[in-house]
Amino acid sequence: MEISEKIIETTVEIFTTMVMMDVSADGPPLEVSGALCDTVTGMIGLAGTHKGVLAIHIPNQVALAITSSFLGMDVDEINDDVRDAVGELANMLGGNVKTILSQNGRDIELSLPSTIYGHEYGFKTASDVDMVILPFKTAAGGFMVELQLEK
Amino acid sequence: MGHNVLLVDDSSTMRKIVGRSLHQAGLDFDNIYEAADGLLALEVLEKESVDIVLSDMNMPNMDGISFLKEKANRPNMKDIPVFMFSTETGDDIIGEAKALGAVGAIKKPFTAHMVSEVLGPFLK
Repeated sequence: MEISEKIIETTVEIFTTMVMMDVSADGPPLEVSGALCDTVTGMIGLAGTHKGVLAIHIPNQVALAITSSFLGMDVDEINDDVRDAVGELANMLGGNVKTILSQNGRDIELSLPSTIYGHEYGFKTASDVDMVILPFKTAAGGFMVELQLEK
Repeated sequence: MGHNVLLVDDSSTMRKIVGRSLHQAGLDFDNIYEAADGLLALEVLEKESVDIVLSDMNMPNMDGISFLKEKANRPNMKDIPVFMFSTETGDDIIGEAKALGAVGAIKKPFTAHMVSEVLGPFLK
């Protein structure tokens, strides 16, 4: 199974079991994530035999819906709860990608998750990387999961 | 049920989710204490009576493995059982956690049913 398929499987599992929200892949992988507008990005770094970054880019309105479902309460502004929830999604995705890339879990280290948010920003690495950018859809809107691994 | 639990995770979201899952699993505790990392967890264990600890692995200041090592060196808390809640479930890492005294591990993402299956028998 290709890593794209495994990331899709992992993302669906996380959203179904923890966020309590239906999610599915929304078409083929994208070439670039492009400019990110009014978005929250959760990201986690990988170091060791595989170096890179795993990120989840969620538009504000979708992030509010996801956090509300995740926490079981209404959230109507981008606050610490939203940033923490998006960071935790990146953490869970990163941990599962680590398991996909390393069976024993010892030869890849994960950073702590962090978040970026703002009106408009780009997400680009300086290194030569293999990139996978996967679009997903929910009833509240779409989001992207991006994995960059150093060649 | 007469038990006190300590939830250790740097994510406040995840502490809420774990607490909710315990309730959904029918595992109601008298007190649910929270700590954002291993260092703060040790402080709670020094002050409070805790029956079981549920801990993340990847945390700032003191991670799950370092927490287990430090806890094992403190006679007043070394016998309190710890379950690891983590995205990191590689055999080596879980093996190391168990060698340091962790009694089990639950992989994130998890369901309330999974929590019940793992913790339920232990708390009866």
